Amino acid sequence: MTILDGLAAAGLTGRGGAAFRTAIKVRAAHHNGADLIVNACDGEVGAAKDGWVVAHHLDELVRGAALVTPGRRQTVRYAAHRGSGTEQRLRAAGVDVLGAPARYVSSEETSLISLAHDGLARPMTKRAPFVFGGVDSRGRRIRPTVVLNAETLWRVAQIADHGPEWFRSVGTPDEPGPRLVTITGHVSAPGVVETSAGVSLADLLDSAGGLAPQATSILVGGLGGAFLTAGEARGAVWSGPGLAAYGAYLGPGVIEVIDPSSCPLAVVDRMLSYAAGESAGQCGPCMFGLPAIAADWHELTTRPSHEVLTRLRDRLGVVSGRGACHFPDGVARFAASALRVFGPHLDLHVTGSCSRARRLEHVPAR
Amino acid sequence: MNEILWYSSRATGIASIVLLTAVLALGMVTSGRRRTQGDRATVVMALHRWLSLGMLTFLLAHIATAVAETYVSIDLVSALVPFTSGYATVWVGLGTLACDLLLAIGVTSWFRPRIKEPTWKAVHLLSYAMWPIAVVHGLALGTSGEPVLRGITVLCGAVGLGFAGWRVVTSHQDRDRREAVLAQEWS
Repeated sequence: MTILDGLAAAGLTGRGGAAFRTAIKVRAAHHNGADLIVNACDGEVGAAKDGWVVAHHLDELVRGAALVTPGRRQTVRYAAHRGSGTEQRLRAAGVDVLGAPARYVSSEETSLISLAHDGLARPMTKRAPFVFGGVDSRGRRIRPTVVLNAETLWRVAQIADHGPEWFRSVGTPDEPGPRLVTITGHVSAPGVVETSAGVSLADLLDSAGGLAPQATSILVGGLGGAFLTAGEARGAVWSGPGLAAYGAYLGPGVIEVIDPSSCPLAVVDRMLSYAAGESAGQCGPCMFGLPAIAADWHELTTRPSHEVLTRLRDRLGVVSGRGACHFPDGVARFAASALRVFGPHLDLHVTGSCSRARRLEHVPAR
Repeated sequence: MNEILWYSSRATGIASIVLLTAVLALGMVTSGRRRTQGDRATVVMALHRWLSLGMLTFLLAHIATAVAETYVSIDLVSALVPFTSGYATVWVGLGTLACDLLLAIGVTSWFRPRIKEPTWKAVHLLSYAMWPIAVVHGLALGTSGEPVLRGITVLCGAVGLGFAGWRVVTSHQDRDRREAVLAQEWS
């Protein structure tokens, strides 16, 4: 069985968040002699699993990368945030490291492709997938390049070693295979755990010490994800369909339990400010929309009114579906779910009775 | 016959400058922060393209009649090489220069799908040099005895400058933000 057949039979999908079928990408990479960029940036807020793969399974990761790039002229580069422990580990291992700025959109696949071509680490418009090659906005040629998440490549090596049946022995038929999840925030044992789709979210959280009784909410998927109330989290299933009801998805596998002693509106406020500052300044909905949304949210937290709430809702609708890298979609989804889950808490701000708001005013952003 | 050619040259010259100004204005409306959106943008862009082609026919007639008539000496060479005409060397030369620039702009636009976008853009920006040169050529040479015709050229200048001013004023917010973001760490 070739690796392509193995990947197709296993049903492996990208573990970076978009969940695209890996077999299709790898087939195109073989066919076009594409260069490979291994994305070990952990670009999503709270993510740490790709660094975990580099730290614990680098040999398999390198073998997985070699399976994707069988041609003699195909190069492999390992992308990691500059100054991170992951970057140090990769350099110590002697592989070709692509040091990316430690920024949100710089970790996106087309940003890394641009950076690898001596451009800026900002997203590019995908007229066609860059695995076929293409041009950037200034007309410079981009070599055929495929970007795969570090966990995805580790899974490629595992499927080559153990076969697709082994891979499909866990997970659901639609979302098969083991997958890593980073659990952070208000848990006693934060870290990276291996699980699979279909387990209960409560069991998953138990592997990091469990959901504290006083916890009020969790965030699934970081800045591109959605909030669930603690009650919803206790009953939810860790799978695409199980999370869809809450506007969440498996994504890059990040769960943050929100600290119950902090004001959740302030937490969202900090994350939205961070998001606004991460725009690459290329698309209008992102470079103007996100700061406007962040400012609205801040006003909602400090001086709530129906006007600002209506304006914020309008803006969330306006930025959705726009922007080359869809960063605004993720942020709008995030903010909309925050409105849904923290609506009751917002009433405390209307009456000025949120005891936690003032205390957290000065905590710095991530 | 010579008289007809002479009058034709004046008339087509005026028509050219009016159309050129319209094309310039439409071009500026399609660029910049407050550019038109959606269906309107398509209409504006189509007008920009087709009017420029229409303008070319008047311009060709203008040049052909100017060369053909014999009151003043403008030959075929000075229709292509600037500052070579016997008559009003500088002012005719400006017209030739504008025409050459227009040729470059037109050819690169025609082959736009086959050339690099930055090359096309760099050449297309020459429009901002070509248009004032053409207006000065029109003001200096043409129609000195005819206030209506001179008025049309002056009006064209005013309209073009007005649109250019609008273009400069309305582009700032976008550019400022892009430059501020670009100054951050991206590589």
